[in-house]
Amino acid sequence: MNLRLILKLAAIAGVMTAISLWVGQLAYTWMPVPASEEALLVDHLFSFLTTLGTFIFLGVAGTLLYSVLFQRAAKYDEGDGPPIEGNLTLEIVWTAIPLVLVIWIAGYSYRIYDEMNILGPMEHMHGGAAIAAPLTLAQATDAPEAPEAPEIIEVHARQWVWEFYYPVANVTSTELHLPNHRRAKLTLTSEDVLHGFFVPAFRVKQDVIPGRSIDFEFTPIREGTYRLRDSQYSGTYFAAMQANVVVESPDDYQQWLTDVAALSPQPGLNPSYDEYQVKVENRDNRPGWKTVEPAPYPLVNYSGAPVLPER
Amino acid sequence: MTEISLEALSPKREQPVPGEPENWRRFFSFSTDHKVIGIQYIVVAFVFFLIGGFLAMIIRGELITPEADLVDRTVYNALFTMHGTIMLFMWTFPVLNGLANYLVPLQIGARDMAFPRLNAVAFWMVPVFGVILMASFLVPGGPSQSGWWAYPPVSLQNPTGNLINGQFLWILAVALSGISSIMGAVNIVTTIIRMRAPGMTFFKMPVFCWAVMAAQTIQLFGLPALTAGAVMLLFDLSVGTSFFDPATGGDPVLYQHFFWFYSHPAVYVIILPVFGVFSELFPVYARKPLFGYKFVAVSSFVITGLSAIVWVHHMFASGTPGWMRMLFMASTMLISVPTGVKIFAWVATIWGGKIKLSTPMLFALGGLVNFLFAGITGIMLAAVPFDIHVNNTYFVVGHFHYVIYGAAVMGIYAAIYHWFPKMTGRMYYEGLGKLHFVLTFVGVNLNFLPMHPAGLMGMPRRVASYDPEFAYWNVLASLGGFLLGVSTLPFLLNMISSWILGEKAPANPWRAIGLEWLVSSPPPHENFAVIPTVVSEPYGYGKNEPLIASQMASTELTSELS
Amino acid sequence: MSSVNLDQSLNSAATVHAADHHEEGEHRLFGFIVFLLSESVIFLSFFVGYIVYKTSATDWLPAGVEGLEVREPFINTIVLVSSSFVIYIAERYLHKENLWGFRAFWLLTMAMGSFFLYGQAVEWMGLDFGFTDGLFGGTFYLLTGFHGLHVLTGVLLQGIMLGRSFIPGNYDDGEVGVAATSLFWHFVDVIWIILFILIYVWQ
Ligand code: HEA
Ligand code: HEA
Ligand code: CUA
Ligand SMILES: [Cu+2]
Repeated sequence: MNLRLILKLAAIAGVMTAISLWVGQLAYTWMPVPASEEALLVDHLFSFLTTLGTFIFLGVAGTLLYSVLFQRAAKYDEGDGPPIEGNLTLEIVWTAIPLVLVIWIAGYSYRIYDEMNILGPMEHMHGGAAIAAPLTLAQATDAPEAPEAPEIIEVHARQWVWEFYYPVANVTSTELHLPNHRRAKLTLTSEDVLHGFFVPAFRVKQDVIPGRSIDFEFTPIREGTYRLRDSQYSGTYFAAMQANVVVESPDDYQQWLTDVAALSPQPGLNPSYDEYQVKVENRDNRPGWKTVEPAPYPLVNYSGAPVLPER
Repeated sequence: MTEISLEALSPKREQPVPGEPENWRRFFSFSTDHKVIGIQYIVVAFVFFLIGGFLAMIIRGELITPEADLVDRTVYNALFTMHGTIMLFMWTFPVLNGLANYLVPLQIGARDMAFPRLNAVAFWMVPVFGVILMASFLVPGGPSQSGWWAYPPVSLQNPTGNLINGQFLWILAVALSGISSIMGAVNIVTTIIRMRAPGMTFFKMPVFCWAVMAAQTIQLFGLPALTAGAVMLLFDLSVGTSFFDPATGGDPVLYQHFFWFYSHPAVYVIILPVFGVFSELFPVYARKPLFGYKFVAVSSFVITGLSAIVWVHHMFASGTPGWMRMLFMASTMLISVPTGVKIFAWVATIWGGKIKLSTPMLFALGGLVNFLFAGITGIMLAAVPFDIHVNNTYFVVGHFHYVIYGAAVMGIYAAIYHWFPKMTGRMYYEGLGKLHFVLTFVGVNLNFLPMHPAGLMGMPRRVASYDPEFAYWNVLASLGGFLLGVSTLPFLLNMISSWILGEKAPANPWRAIGLEWLVSSPPPHENFAVIPTVVSEPYGYGKNEPLIASQMASTELTSELS
Repeated sequence: MSSVNLDQSLNSAATVHAADHHEEGEHRLFGFIVFLLSESVIFLSFFVGYIVYKTSATDWLPAGVEGLEVREPFINTIVLVSSSFVIYIAERYLHKENLWGFRAFWLLTMAMGSFFLYGQAVEWMGLDFGFTDGLFGGTFYLLTGFHGLHVLTGVLLQGIMLGRSFIPGNYDDGEVGVAATSLFWHFVDVIWIILFILIYVWQ
């Protein structure tokens, strides 16, 4: 009898584990295509969390479901159930199990975080600090090459347009270009309010805080065009504050920089300003309230194409 | 402190006639009876719930297509700002205060709250700041459009340049709401600590009272921080100081700390009383004592304590250094320990019971399952590397609607159904109640589950337009949203018709154990003709023991009173 | 547990109310303490804000401002802090049912509080920076102003309690209002001491 119970429980746990592992694998497909080293790490973490979460959910919800299905009072049964008030051992066990799980989850998350080596907005990488920092995946893979001086790209956010400046080539654009497999080093600044730098395909995000300059790093690993979205609410045209991110081979990237440097400045992409013009010229008569005026078209060497990346 | 005179307190105290036919007009008066105030809170809050839900319907209407085509962008931004603000400050807090007001004195065996007049003042502030908030739709620049966080510098931008603008009224309303909540909290905490009936030690007190006390303690230490931030924001906006405005040297991130130091714990102000409701209901409808009563009771206060040290998890992607991220990740995850204690205790309570799936039980069970799901996504959010990806996306929106609608609102519905006979003296219609449950449960999951994949794919929140790749999930969500809108209809129909026409309710229709079930439905003016002496722990289902001293002599007291 | 001392044999409505009324007073004092604890968090928040600003701001003092004069505020501080002792003496007199002693010292407390307010007003007038002059100006006026508002409230409350002492029999069965006011006064005092150290001593 007791053995049968144990076997039954073991069987249930086995099935639950199988389901959880399967859902954990599915979790990879819920994310956008991973296009950075960070994305691979985050996806592992998410899969792990999903596996564990599924197991907990199935365990608790399954028990409830069983009770609800099979332990209902008969129609005219007005009696009470067994007056069990508690069980100290059980209480202690189910306080301890979540505690252990939590330590596990937190430990794993910490490791991932450490590997990602996300620069916090407070830790400015200047000169020697970069060497002192723990070896990152990017540095590890790129190690054979000579450690070039980091090529910093300035990201300027304003209501409601992104502008990118490449100091080495003295180029500006409204489309972000990055060389593949190179650590991208960005400096984020805002001229007015909070914005957020968010590229879902890279799984990276950082608020851009006016009055501060924030260093930000990640490593793209897949060529293609992705979407940069503003992630920190910034007022009327917040939703329109997006830009394309193009990851290309380092050679193409260099080629692009030199080509574009030769172009003369032209108005960049600025969907929010376009939309604002529609409003000002009364071509849109839906009632609305007065808004902060969008910044005008930035003058850039390269504007990029106003098309959505393919999925 | 004002002296509350004897006369003002007891106009009708001399005739506590059980179940006297009540005059509906008192619900529109400055009554000091905690039961009247409780119902006033609940009804007023529900009106605001409908208004806030109506705004959500427009939001979902806009989001059913990728383009910003239904309303202007400024209007959309005002909509979600007001939706969030109304739902939190004018629906959840007031309705839970209403439940606490109604139930706490009855459950602890008191005749009223400690400060009846303060109670009435706190309640009457709700419609006042409600009207102030609504009035902001009429000022020239429209209502606040900076989200319910009101993060500067956006909240300081004030494009019309008027002194009286939507943001100004928003801050005013939130500040008044804070004052009202602090009054309520002082009152409830004092009542629970000092007015319990003889014999009702803390460990004989129902878990609902424990949970309410834990929740109101949060209001006491949290709200002042929000108030401090709001005062500084108001000065920045109206006078031109530079606390949070980076253009003049201020620090916008400091505001975020003030805001979340309160607004994170605030989510436990919402969920703790709902935990209390679960703890009351499961024993009744499973006919078993609450499993591990003392653990469940104390864990509320553990949550209160932990809630004060996790707020930075809302700011992982903000100006937060790495060590802070790791520290607050750990503290946030710890919350799952006391919460798990509760969850497992409820499951053990239900296990092996004699379960009756009446409407309150259905809502409680549905709420529990939704909470479980939301709690797990909450733990995911606490994991910094993952949160960085989904912060400010629809994954977060999905997480919190699951807790707030899926668990809290459903728990509140459960409470309203369960105590409806007590409050009104009438039975509700079971069939309509079950219909309401099915629509709500399906609606919640159809509305808020698709938000998770959308968020994982990278759809930001607070957007009036989005890339077409997210369209599929948004159509589903909108359909679910409309279904939720529809789900309120059977509820309203049920409440109104059964209050007027429903079958008369006995004192204890659920055969529940608790002081509130010993008095008639509705209870007489002063609740108890004789203050009972409590002799045993609550939830003595199946134990056949008396709850109060006088029952030792005659266990028939219950039926006599009804 | 104080709520337990309700007599079991209470059955007439009148006795119920008398007992209720007596309890009421204690509830009120308890409630007031809860309120004060909560109120102190506002000040705590402002203090934290001040410390964060002061330690992180790049240009803390507005142009042309050297710092704060400490002498006058120090005298003010002495007066306010000693008034805490004075109000305590007043309370002792009330306990001994010496109404005139109570009134005399109570009035002295009010005078000292008013002196403090006056001193602060004079200081404000003499300053060459305003509320909108950077973070220093902002936090200075915010903190001193918010505290000043509390002192004013305290003095007004004291006025009310003084007036009430002339209603015959008012303080016969307890003096909750007086106890609460005095508690409030001590609270305002403690806050000031922290504030003085933060703003004037730590420059
Ligand atoms: C009632 C409301 C409520 C409740 C109860 C919770 C509960 C929790 N929430 Fe949630 N949350 C909100 C309302 C709520 N939240 C709101 C409104 C927001 C967004 C505000 C805004 O941005 O506008 C938000 C946002 C939010 C964030 C910020 C996300 C971001 O903006 O990037 C985070 C991050 O950590 C978080 C975490 C958690 C956690 C860990 C819990 C925990 O308390 C959950 C604990 C429960 C469980 C874990 C399940 C039961 C436990 C077990 C069965 C034991 C075993 C389990 C494990 C070991 C995992 N929440
Ligand atoms: C208690 C809290 C609560 C509740 C109950 C709800 C309920 C709902 N919420 Fe929301 N919500 C928040 C709190 C809440 N919400 C918060 C805090 C935010 C964040 C705001 C911010 O970002 O600043 C938010 C944001 C938010 C968003 C994101 C907006 C954005 O980021 O762009 C969305 C989008 O779908 C949404 C939808 C809904 C829906 C469909 C419901 C539905 O469940 C509602 C169901 C509808 C009804 C119950 C009403 C039915 C009424 C009628 C049919 C008409 C009757 C009309 C009158 C009498 C006038 N909510
Ligand atoms: Cu741009 Cu937020
Ligand atoms: Cu939180």
